[in-house]
Amino acid sequence: MTEAVIEVQGLVKDHFSNFLRKRFRALDGLNLKVEKGESFGLLGPNGAGKTTTQKLLLGMLKPTEGSIRVLGKSPGDKEALAKIGFLPENPYFYAYLSASEFLDFFAQLFDMNKNDRKARTKELLELVSLSEAGNRPIRKFSKGMMQRLGIAQALINDPELVFLDEPNSGLDPIGRRDIRNIMLMLKEQGKTIFFNSHMLPDVRDICDQVGVLHRGKMVGQGRVEDICRSGTYKELEDYFMDLINSSEEKYRQSGNATPYHIEREGAQQK
Amino acid sequence: MIGAIAANTFRETVRDRVLYAILIFAALATLAGVVFGSLSADQDVRVLEDLGLFTITTFGGVIAIFLGTNLVFKEIDRRTIFLIVTKPINRWEFVTGKFFGLALCVFVTNFAMGLFFQLVIWFQTGNFNSALPMLGSLSLIYLELLLVIAIATFFSTFATPLMSMIFTCGLWLVGHLSFSFELLAALARKNDSIATEKLALFLQYVMPDLAKLTTVRGDMMDARYPSADLLGYVIAYILAYLVILLSLSTIIAERREFN
Repeated sequence: MTEAVIEVQGLVKDHFSNFLRKRFRALDGLNLKVEKGESFGLLGPNGAGKTTTQKLLLGMLKPTEGSIRVLGKSPGDKEALAKIGFLPENPYFYAYLSASEFLDFFAQLFDMNKNDRKARTKELLELVSLSEAGNRPIRKFSKGMMQRLGIAQALINDPELVFLDEPNSGLDPIGRRDIRNIMLMLKEQGKTIFFNSHMLPDVRDICDQVGVLHRGKMVGQGRVEDICRSGTYKELEDYFMDLINSSEEKYRQSGNATPYHIEREGAQQK
Repeated sequence: MIGAIAANTFRETVRDRVLYAILIFAALATLAGVVFGSLSADQDVRVLEDLGLFTITTFGGVIAIFLGTNLVFKEIDRRTIFLIVTKPINRWEFVTGKFFGLALCVFVTNFAMGLFFQLVIWFQTGNFNSALPMLGSLSLIYLELLLVIAIATFFSTFATPLMSMIFTCGLWLVGHLSFSFELLAALARKNDSIATEKLALFLQYVMPDLAKLTTVRGDMMDARYPSADLLGYVIAYILAYLVILLSLSTIIAERREFN
Protein backbone atom coordinates (compact mmCIF):
# COMPACT_ATOMS: atom_id res chain seq x y z
CA MET A 1 0.00 0.00 0.00
CA THR A 2 1.37 3.42 -0.92
CA GLU A 3 1.95 6.11 1.66
CA ALA A 4 -0.46 9.08 1.73
CA VAL A 5 1.47 12.34 1.85
CA ILE A 6 -1.64 14.52 1.92
CA GLU A 7 -4.93 13.36 3.39
CA VAL A 8 -7.92 15.65 3.64
CA GLN A 9 -11.33 14.65 4.96
CA GLY A 10 -14.49 16.76 4.95
CA LEU A 11 -12.60 20.03 4.80
CA VAL A 12 -14.72 23.14 5.20
CA LYS A 13 -13.44 26.68 5.29
CA ASP A 14 -15.62 29.66 6.02
CA HIS A 15 -14.44 33.24 5.73
CA PHE A 16 -16.16 36.00 7.63
CA SER A 17 -16.59 39.58 6.50
CA ASN A 18 -15.01 41.99 8.95
CA PHE A 19 -17.96 43.96 10.25
CA LEU A 20 -21.20 42.04 9.90
CA ARG A 21 -19.52 38.64 10.35
CA LYS A 22 -21.29 37.48 7.20
CA ARG A 23 -20.16 33.98 6.33
CA PHE A 24 -18.67 33.00 2.99
CA ARG A 25 -18.02 29.30 2.42
CA ALA A 26 -14.80 29.02 0.43
CA LEU A 27 -14.44 25.24 0.69
CA ASP A 28 -17.23 22.79 1.22
CA GLY A 29 -16.54 19.20 2.27
CA LEU A 30 -13.30 18.64 0.42
CA ASN A 31 -11.83 15.13 0.40
CA LEU A 32 -8.39 14.55 -1.03
CA LYS A 33 -5.59 12.01 -0.98
CA VAL A 34 -2.19 12.44 -2.60
CA GLU A 35 0.29 9.61 -2.43
CA LYS A 36 4.05 9.72 -2.17
CA GLY A 37 5.79 10.59 -5.43
CA GLU A 38 2.53 11.59 -7.07
CA SER A 39 1.91 14.85 -8.93
CA PHE A 40 -1.50 16.26 -8.15
CA GLY A 41 -2.98 19.15 -10.11
CA LEU A 42 -5.79 21.13 -8.53
CA LEU A 43 -7.78 22.79 -11.28
CA GLY A 44 -10.62 25.22 -11.19
CA PRO A 45 -11.77 28.63 -12.34
CA ASN A 46 -10.75 31.76 -10.47
CA GLY A 47 -12.30 31.81 -7.04
CA ALA A 48 -12.93 28.07 -6.91
CA GLY A 49 -10.90 27.68 -3.68
CA LYS A 50 -7.57 26.37 -4.99
CA THR A 51 -5.36 28.87 -3.17
CA THR A 52 -7.46 28.48 -0.02
CA THR A 53 -6.88 24.72 -0.19
CA GLN A 54 -3.10 25.15 -0.40
CA LYS A 55 -3.10 27.68 2.42
CA LEU A 56 -5.05 25.26 4.61
CA LEU A 57 -2.64 22.44 3.80
CA LEU A 58 0.29 24.69 4.74
CA GLY A 59 -1.24 25.95 7.98
CA MET A 60 -1.65 29.57 6.85
CA LEU A 61 -5.41 29.24 7.36
CA LYS A 62 -7.25 27.24 9.98
CA PRO A 63 -10.03 24.87 8.87
CA THR A 64 -13.60 25.49 9.99
CA GLU A 65 -14.32 21.74 9.87
CA GLY A 66 -12.60 18.58 8.73
CA SER A 67 -9.20 17.04 9.13
CA ILE A 68 -5.90 17.56 7.33
CA ARG A 69 -2.74 15.46 7.54
CA VAL A 70 0.34 16.53 5.62
CA LEU A 71 3.32 14.15 5.80
CA GLY A 72 1.52 12.51 8.69
CA LYS A 73 1.37 15.75 10.71
CA SER A 74 -1.03 18.60 11.27
CA PRO A 75 -0.70 21.56 8.89
CA GLY A 76 1.97 24.03 9.99
CA ASP A 77 3.86 21.41 12.01
CA LYS A 78 7.54 22.39 12.09
CA GLU A 79 8.76 18.86 11.41
CA ALA A 80 6.54 18.61 8.33
CA LEU A 81 7.38 22.13 7.12
CA ALA A 82 11.08 21.19 7.15
CA LYS A 83 10.28 18.74 4.32
CA ILE A 84 8.03 21.07 2.33
CA GLY A 85 8.75 23.61 -0.39
CA PHE A 86 6.23 26.29 -1.36
CA LEU A 87 5.89 28.81 -4.15
CA PRO A 88 2.94 31.20 -3.68
CA GLU A 89 0.98 32.72 -6.54
CA ASN A 90 2.51 35.96 -7.91
CA PRO A 91 5.22 35.92 -5.26
CA TYR A 92 6.78 39.13 -3.99
CA PHE A 93 10.30 38.83 -2.70
CA TYR A 94 12.56 41.06 -0.66
CA ALA A 95 13.47 43.53 -3.42
CA TYR A 96 16.49 44.88 -1.52
CA LEU A 97 18.24 41.48 -1.56
CA SER A 98 20.23 39.91 -4.35
CA ALA A 99 19.16 36.47 -5.56
CA SER A 100 22.05 34.82 -3.67
CA GLU A 101 21.27 36.68 -0.44
CA PHE A 102 17.61 35.75 -0.83
CA LEU A 103 18.31 32.03 -1.17
CA ASP A 104 20.89 32.16 1.61
CA PHE A 105 18.32 33.74 3.93
CA PHE A 106 15.81 30.96 3.34
CA ALA A 107 18.51 28.31 3.70
CA GLN A 108 19.23 29.77 7.16
CA LEU A 109 15.59 29.21 8.11
CA PHE A 110 16.22 25.51 7.53
CA ASP A 111 19.21 25.66 9.86
CA MET A 112 21.71 24.83 7.11
CA ASN A 113 25.36 25.55 7.80
CA LYS A 114 27.29 28.16 5.83
CA ASN A 115 29.05 25.75 3.46
CA ASP A 116 25.85 23.85 2.67
CA ARG A 117 24.00 27.12 2.12
CA LYS A 118 26.62 28.35 -0.29
CA ALA A 119 26.69 25.11 -2.25
CA ARG A 120 22.88 24.81 -2.37
CA THR A 121 22.48 28.44 -3.46
CA LYS A 122 24.96 27.95 -6.29
CA GLU A 123 23.34 24.68 -7.36
CA LEU A 124 19.83 26.14 -7.41
CA LEU A 125 20.83 29.32 -9.23
CA GLU A 126 22.32 27.09 -11.91
CA LEU A 127 19.20 24.93 -12.00
CA VAL A 128 16.94 27.91 -12.64
CA SER A 129 19.47 29.57 -15.00
CA LEU A 130 20.06 32.57 -12.77
CA SER A 131 23.77 32.06 -12.02
CA GLU A 132 24.77 35.24 -13.82
CA ALA A 133 22.10 37.26 -12.04
CA GLY A 134 22.99 35.93 -8.59
CA ASN A 135 24.35 39.22 -7.31
CA ARG A 136 21.76 41.43 -8.99
CA PRO A 137 19.07 43.01 -6.75
CA ILE A 138 15.74 41.22 -7.07
CA ARG A 139 13.97 44.51 -7.84
CA LYS A 140 15.67 44.42 -11.26
CA PHE A 141 14.32 40.94 -12.08
CA SER A 142 11.73 40.28 -14.76
CA LYS A 143 8.55 38.33 -13.96
CA GLY A 144 10.03 35.14 -15.40
CA MET A 145 13.24 35.52 -13.37
CA MET A 146 11.20 36.12 -10.21
CA GLN A 147 9.20 32.97 -10.82
CA ARG A 148 12.36 30.94 -11.38
CA LEU A 149 13.87 32.37 -8.23
CA GLY A 150 10.66 31.46 -6.43
CA ILE A 151 11.04 27.87 -7.57
CA ALA A 152 14.67 27.89 -6.37
CA GLN A 153 13.48 29.17 -2.99
CA ALA A 154 10.89 26.39 -2.81
CA LEU A 155 13.61 23.80 -3.40
CA ILE A 156 16.23 25.18 -1.00
CA ASN A 157 15.64 22.40 1.53
CA ASP A 158 15.46 19.63 -1.07
CA PRO A 159 11.82 19.04 -0.09
CA GLU A 160 9.87 15.81 -0.22
CA LEU A 161 6.65 17.66 -0.96
CA VAL A 162 6.38 20.75 -3.17
CA PHE A 163 3.38 23.09 -3.27
CA LEU A 164 3.20 25.38 -6.28
CA ASP A 165 0.41 27.90 -6.68
CA GLU A 166 -0.02 28.91 -10.31
CA PRO A 167 3.70 28.51 -11.10
CA ASN A 168 3.15 29.44 -14.76
CA SER A 169 1.00 32.47 -14.16
CA GLY A 170 1.99 35.47 -16.29
CA LEU A 171 4.96 33.77 -17.93
CA ASP A 172 5.88 33.87 -21.60
CA PRO A 173 6.17 30.53 -23.48
CA ILE A 174 9.90 30.23 -22.74
CA GLY A 175 9.34 30.88 -19.04
CA ARG A 176 6.52 28.34 -19.01
CA ARG A 177 8.70 25.76 -20.67
CA ASP A 178 11.50 26.34 -18.13
CA ILE A 179 9.13 25.94 -15.19
CA ARG A 180 7.55 22.85 -16.72
CA ASN A 181 10.98 21.29 -17.22
CA ILE A 182 11.89 21.92 -13.60
CA MET A 183 8.62 20.33 -12.49
CA LEU A 184 9.25 17.30 -14.68
CA MET A 185 12.72 17.01 -13.16
CA LEU A 186 11.20 17.11 -9.66
CA LYS A 187 8.76 14.41 -10.70
CA GLU A 188 11.62 12.26 -11.96
CA GLN A 189 13.36 12.74 -8.62
CA GLY A 190 10.30 11.19 -6.96
CA LYS A 191 9.09 14.32 -5.21
CA THR A 192 5.42 14.73 -4.44
CA ILE A 193 4.02 17.77 -6.24
CA PHE A 194 0.78 19.54 -5.44
CA PHE A 195 0.03 22.38 -7.75
CA ASN A 196 -2.74 24.72 -8.72
CA SER A 197 -2.90 25.72 -12.32
CA HIS A 198 -4.93 27.03 -15.21
CA MET A 199 -2.46 25.76 -17.80
CA LEU A 200 -4.12 22.49 -18.76
CA PRO A 201 -1.47 21.34 -21.29
CA ASP A 202 1.18 21.63 -18.55
CA VAL A 203 -1.06 19.80 -16.12
CA ARG A 204 -1.45 16.99 -18.61
CA ASP A 205 2.33 16.69 -19.03
CA ILE A 206 3.14 16.79 -15.34
CA CYS A 207 0.26 15.42 -13.30
CA ASP A 208 -0.62 11.85 -12.43
CA GLN A 209 -3.88 12.89 -10.86
CA VAL A 210 -6.13 15.93 -11.11
CA GLY A 211 -8.98 17.31 -9.08
CA VAL A 212 -11.43 19.90 -10.35
CA LEU A 213 -12.70 22.41 -7.83
CA HIS A 214 -15.76 24.54 -8.46
CA ARG A 215 -17.45 26.85 -5.97
CA GLY A 216 -15.48 25.26 -3.15
CA LYS A 217 -16.52 21.71 -4.02
CA MET A 218 -14.51 18.97 -5.67
CA VAL A 219 -16.61 18.21 -8.74
CA GLY A 220 -14.29 15.67 -10.28
CA GLN A 221 -11.13 13.76 -9.57
CA GLY A 222 -9.20 11.17 -11.48
CA ARG A 223 -5.96 9.93 -13.00
CA VAL A 224 -4.91 11.93 -16.05
CA GLU A 225 -4.10 8.75 -17.92
CA ASP A 226 -7.58 7.32 -17.32
CA ILE A 227 -9.33 10.57 -18.23
CA CYS A 228 -7.50 10.93 -21.53
CA ARG A 229 -7.63 7.21 -22.38
CA SER A 230 -11.31 6.70 -21.63
CA GLY A 231 -12.36 8.00 -25.04
CA THR A 232 -14.96 10.30 -23.51
CA TYR A 233 -12.58 13.23 -23.54
CA LYS A 234 -9.99 14.00 -26.18
CA GLU A 235 -8.22 16.56 -24.06
CA LEU A 236 -8.02 17.38 -20.38
CA GLU A 237 -9.63 20.70 -21.26
CA ASP A 238 -12.80 18.88 -22.41
CA TYR A 239 -12.99 17.03 -19.09
CA PHE A 240 -12.47 20.28 -17.19
CA MET A 241 -15.06 22.24 -19.17
CA ASP A 242 -17.59 19.43 -18.97
CA LEU A 243 -17.30 19.23 -15.19
CA ILE A 244 -17.47 22.99 -14.69
CA ASN A 245 -20.44 23.39 -17.03
CA SER A 246 -22.44 20.57 -15.48
CA SER A 247 -21.66 21.84 -11.99
CA GLU A 248 -22.70 25.35 -12.97
CA GLU A 249 -25.89 23.96 -14.52
CA LYS A 250 -26.72 22.10 -11.30
CA TYR A 251 -26.29 25.32 -9.36
CA ARG A 252 -28.53 27.17 -11.72
CA GLN A 253 -31.23 24.52 -11.54
CA SER A 254 -31.11 24.41 -7.77
CA GLY A 255 -31.63 28.18 -7.77
CA ASN A 256 -28.58 28.46 -5.60
CA ALA A 257 -26.33 30.18 -8.05
CA THR A 258 -25.24 33.05 -5.85
CA PRO A 259 -21.67 33.59 -6.97
CA TYR A 260 -20.45 34.51 -3.50
CA HIS A 261 -17.52 32.10 -3.59
CA ILE A 262 -16.21 33.62 -6.76
CA GLU A 263 -16.57 37.17 -5.55
CA ARG A 264 -14.96 36.39 -2.24
CA GLU A 265 -12.09 34.32 -3.56
CA GLY A 266 -11.50 36.61 -6.50
CA ALA A 267 -11.07 39.46 -4.05
CA GLN A 268 -8.47 37.47 -2.14
CA GLN A 269 -6.39 36.61 -5.12
CA LYS A 270 -5.89 40.14 -6.34
CA MET B 1 16.37 31.43 13.21
CA ILE B 2 15.99 34.66 15.20
CA GLY B 3 19.47 35.67 14.01
CA ALA B 4 18.55 35.08 10.35
CA ILE B 5 15.32 37.08 10.62
CA ALA B 6 17.11 39.84 12.55
CA ALA B 7 19.96 40.02 10.01
CA ASN B 8 17.48 40.20 7.14
CA THR B 9 15.46 42.92 8.89
CA PHE B 10 18.65 44.87 9.60
CA ARG B 11 19.65 44.59 5.95
CA GLU B 12 16.18 45.73 4.90
CA THR B 13 16.24 48.79 7.16
CA VAL B 14 19.78 49.94 6.36
CA ARG B 15 19.04 49.65 2.64
CA ASP B 16 16.01 51.92 3.02
CA ARG B 17 16.86 55.37 1.66
CA VAL B 18 14.39 57.03 4.01
CA LEU B 19 16.74 56.15 6.86
CA TYR B 20 19.51 58.27 5.35
CA ALA B 21 17.16 61.18 4.72
CA ILE B 22 16.20 61.10 8.42
CA LEU B 23 19.88 60.96 9.42
CA ILE B 24 20.69 64.00 7.28
CA PHE B 25 17.91 65.95 8.98
CA ALA B 26 19.23 64.79 12.36
CA ALA B 27 22.72 66.08 11.49
CA LEU B 28 21.27 69.43 10.40
CA ALA B 29 19.26 69.68 13.62
CA THR B 30 22.41 68.96 15.67
CA LEU B 31 24.29 71.68 13.81
CA ALA B 32 21.38 74.05 14.48
CA GLY B 33 22.31 73.62 18.17
CA VAL B 34 25.57 75.44 17.45
CA VAL B 35 23.64 78.43 16.09
CA PHE B 36 21.11 78.47 18.94
CA GLY B 37 23.93 78.02 21.47
CA SER B 38 25.78 81.04 20.12
CA LEU B 39 22.63 83.13 20.63
CA SER B 40 22.43 82.23 24.33
CA ALA B 41 24.18 84.02 27.17
CA ASP B 42 27.20 81.85 28.07
CA GLN B 43 25.13 78.70 27.82
CA ASP B 44 26.23 77.67 24.35
CA VAL B 45 27.51 74.21 25.34
CA ARG B 46 24.46 73.51 27.51
CA VAL B 47 22.08 74.50 24.68
CA LEU B 48 24.08 72.40 22.24
CA GLU B 49 23.97 69.38 24.57
CA ASP B 50 20.26 69.68 25.29
CA LEU B 51 19.32 70.20 21.68
CA GLY B 52 21.67 67.43 20.56
CA LEU B 53 20.16 64.86 22.94
CA PHE B 54 16.66 66.01 22.02
CA THR B 55 17.59 65.53 18.35
CA ILE B 56 18.93 62.02 18.93
CA THR B 57 15.83 61.01 20.92
CA THR B 58 13.40 62.52 18.44
CA PHE B 59 15.05 61.32 15.24
CA GLY B 60 15.82 57.93 16.80
CA GLY B 61 12.12 57.79 17.66
CA VAL B 62 11.14 58.78 14.13
CA ILE B 63 13.30 55.93 12.76
CA ALA B 64 11.93 53.46 15.32
CA ILE B 65 8.32 54.47 14.63
CA PHE B 66 8.60 54.79 10.86
CA LEU B 67 10.37 51.48 10.37
CA GLY B 68 8.78 49.69 13.34
CA THR B 69 5.18 50.32 12.32
CA ASN B 70 5.95 48.78 8.92
CA LEU B 71 7.91 45.90 10.40
CA VAL B 72 5.35 43.08 10.38
CA PHE B 73 2.65 44.87 8.37
CA LYS B 74 4.86 45.15 5.28
CA GLU B 75 5.59 41.41 5.36
CA ILE B 76 1.83 40.74 5.41
CA ASP B 77 0.93 43.42 2.88
CA ARG B 78 3.58 42.33 0.39
CA ARG B 79 2.86 38.68 1.12
CA THR B 80 6.49 37.83 1.88
CA ILE B 81 5.03 36.43 5.11
CA PHE B 82 3.70 33.49 3.04
CA LEU B 83 7.27 32.38 2.46
CA ILE B 84 8.21 32.78 6.13
CA VAL B 85 5.28 31.04 7.85
CA THR B 86 5.64 28.03 5.57
CA LYS B 87 9.19 27.47 6.80
CA PRO B 88 9.96 25.55 10.00
CA ILE B 89 10.02 28.64 12.17
CA ASN B 90 7.91 29.58 15.18
CA ARG B 91 5.99 32.83 15.00
CA TRP B 92 7.60 34.06 18.22
CA GLU B 93 10.98 33.62 16.52
CA PHE B 94 9.72 35.72 13.62
CA VAL B 95 8.42 38.55 15.83
CA THR B 96 11.53 38.51 18.04
CA GLY B 97 13.83 38.44 15.00
CA LYS B 98 12.06 41.43 13.45
CA PHE B 99 12.36 43.31 16.74
CA PHE B 100 16.08 42.61 17.14
CA GLY B 101 16.80 43.51 13.51
CA LEU B 102 15.28 46.95 13.95
CA ALA B 103 16.85 47.29 17.41
CA LEU B 104 20.25 46.75 15.78
CA CYS B 105 19.50 49.32 13.09
CA VAL B 106 18.42 51.88 15.71
CA PHE B 107 21.56 51.08 17.74
CA VAL B 108 23.79 51.78 14.73
CA THR B 109 21.96 55.00 13.83
CA ASN B 110 21.97 56.10 17.48
CA PHE B 111 25.69 55.42 17.65
CA ALA B 112 26.28 57.39 14.44
CA MET B 113 24.18 60.34 15.66
CA GLY B 114 25.91 60.23 19.08
CA LEU B 115 29.34 60.19 17.47
CA PHE B 116 28.49 63.11 15.22
CA PHE B 117 27.07 64.99 18.20
CA GLN B 118 30.24 64.36 20.25
CA LEU B 119 32.39 65.60 17.35
CA VAL B 120 30.34 68.79 17.15
CA ILE B 121 30.83 69.33 20.91
CA TRP B 122 34.56 68.67 20.56
CA PHE B 123 34.71 71.14 17.68
CA GLN B 124 32.98 73.76 19.86
CA THR B 125 34.78 73.16 23.17
CA GLY B 126 38.00 71.41 22.19
CA ASN B 127 37.54 68.67 24.82
CA PHE B 128 35.69 65.41 25.49
CA ASN B 129 34.65 66.26 29.08
CA SER B 130 31.02 65.45 28.46
CA ALA B 131 31.74 62.10 26.81
CA LEU B 132 31.02 59.89 29.86
CA PRO B 133 27.70 61.41 30.98
CA MET B 134 26.80 61.55 27.31
CA LEU B 135 27.41 57.81 26.95
CA GLY B 136 25.12 57.10 29.92
CA SER B 137 22.51 59.40 28.52
CA LEU B 138 22.70 57.87 25.05
CA SER B 139 22.33 54.39 26.55
CA LEU B 140 19.12 55.46 28.29
CA ILE B 141 17.86 57.03 25.06
CA TYR B 142 18.49 53.71 23.35
CA LEU B 143 16.59 51.90 26.10
CA GLU B 144 13.66 54.23 25.55
CA LEU B 145 13.84 53.65 21.80
CA LEU B 146 13.78 49.87 22.36
CA LEU B 147 10.44 50.36 24.07
CA VAL B 148 9.22 52.50 21.16
CA ILE B 149 10.25 49.71 18.74
CA ALA B 150 8.39 47.13 20.84
CA ILE B 151 5.25 49.33 20.87
CA ALA B 152 5.50 49.82 17.09
CA THR B 153 6.07 46.08 16.54
CA PHE B 154 3.03 45.27 18.66
CA PHE B 155 0.73 47.56 16.67
CA SER B 156 2.20 46.49 13.33
CA THR B 157 0.99 42.92 13.93
CA PHE B 158 -2.64 43.99 13.52
CA ALA B 159 -2.95 47.63 12.43
CA THR B 160 -2.07 49.58 9.30
CA PRO B 161 1.15 51.64 9.43
CA LEU B 162 -0.79 54.92 9.75
CA MET B 163 -2.85 53.66 12.69
CA SER B 164 0.24 52.07 14.25
CA MET B 165 2.11 55.38 13.92
CA ILE B 166 -0.71 57.27 15.64
CA PHE B 167 -0.97 54.70 18.47
CA THR B 168 2.80 54.44 18.95
CA CYS B 169 3.33 58.22 18.97
CA GLY B 170 0.41 58.53 21.38
CA LEU B 171 1.80 55.95 23.80
CA TRP B 172 5.31 57.43 23.58
CA LEU B 173 3.96 60.87 24.40
CA VAL B 174 1.73 59.56 27.19
CA GLY B 175 4.79 57.74 28.57
CA HIS B 176 6.56 61.06 29.02
CA LEU B 177 3.51 62.52 30.73
CA SER B 178 2.89 59.50 32.97
CA PHE B 179 3.31 61.64 36.10
CA SER B 180 0.07 63.41 35.15
CA PHE B 181 -1.94 60.27 35.98
CA GLU B 182 -0.68 60.51 39.55
CA LEU B 183 -1.72 64.17 39.66
CA LEU B 184 -5.11 63.27 38.20
CA ALA B 185 -5.58 60.52 40.79
CA ALA B 186 -4.71 62.96 43.60
CA LEU B 187 -7.14 65.52 42.21
CA ALA B 188 -9.87 62.89 41.91
CA ARG B 189 -9.21 61.77 45.50
CA LYS B 190 -9.59 65.35 46.67
CA ASN B 191 -12.95 65.60 44.88
CA ASP B 192 -14.12 62.17 46.09
CA SER B 193 -14.39 60.89 42.53
CA ILE B 194 -13.53 57.23 43.09
CA ALA B 195 -14.13 56.13 39.50
CA THR B 196 -11.81 58.81 38.08
CA GLU B 197 -9.19 58.00 40.70
CA LYS B 198 -9.31 54.30 39.84
CA LEU B 199 -9.16 55.05 36.12
CA ALA B 200 -6.16 57.35 36.63
CA LEU B 201 -4.37 54.74 38.73
CA PHE B 202 -5.20 52.02 36.18
CA LEU B 203 -3.75 54.15 33.37
CA GLN B 204 -0.71 54.94 35.49
CA TYR B 205 0.04 51.23 35.80
CA VAL B 206 -0.86 50.24 32.25
CA MET B 207 0.69 53.09 30.26
CA PRO B 208 4.48 53.10 29.85
CA ASP B 209 6.28 55.27 32.39
CA LEU B 210 9.11 57.13 30.69
CA ALA B 211 9.11 60.11 33.04
CA LYS B 212 11.53 58.46 35.51
CA LEU B 213 13.89 57.54 32.71
CA THR B 214 13.91 61.15 31.46
CA THR B 215 14.64 62.43 34.97
CA VAL B 216 17.55 60.00 35.40
CA ARG B 217 18.89 61.00 31.99
CA GLY B 218 18.71 64.71 32.82
CA ASP B 219 20.51 64.11 36.12
CA MET B 220 23.26 62.21 34.31
CA MET B 221 23.93 65.15 32.03
CA ASP B 222 24.34 67.32 35.12
CA ALA B 223 26.89 64.79 36.43
CA ARG B 224 24.43 63.64 39.14
CA TYR B 225 24.55 59.90 38.80
CA PRO B 226 21.50 57.93 39.93
CA SER B 227 21.62 55.25 42.62
CA ALA B 228 22.05 51.68 41.44
CA ASP B 229 18.54 50.91 42.75
CA LEU B 230 16.90 53.65 40.71
CA LEU B 231 18.88 52.82 37.59
CA GLY B 232 18.13 49.11 38.06
CA TYR B 233 14.42 49.87 38.48
CA VAL B 234 14.29 52.01 35.33
CA ILE B 235 16.09 49.36 33.24
CA ALA B 236 14.05 46.45 34.65
CA TYR B 237 10.79 48.36 34.13
CA ILE B 238 11.52 49.07 30.45
CA LEU B 239 12.71 45.52 29.77
CA ALA B 240 9.65 44.00 31.48
CA TYR B 241 7.32 46.26 29.49
CA LEU B 242 9.17 45.30 26.33
CA VAL B 243 8.88 41.55 27.00
CA ILE B 244 5.14 41.91 27.68
CA LEU B 245 4.64 43.78 24.39
CA LEU B 246 6.63 41.22 22.39
CA SER B 247 4.68 38.39 24.05
CA LEU B 248 1.39 40.03 23.09
CA SER B 249 2.70 40.54 19.53
CA THR B 250 3.55 36.83 19.38
CA ILE B 251 0.10 35.81 20.62
CA ILE B 252 -1.51 37.95 17.89
CA ALA B 253 0.86 36.55 15.23
CA GLU B 254 0.15 32.96 16.39
CA ARG B 255 -3.60 33.41 16.08
CA ARG B 256 -3.47 35.23 12.81
CA GLU B 257 -4.53 33.65 9.53
CA PHE B 258 -2.86 34.73 6.30
CA ASN B 259 -5.40 35.21 3.53
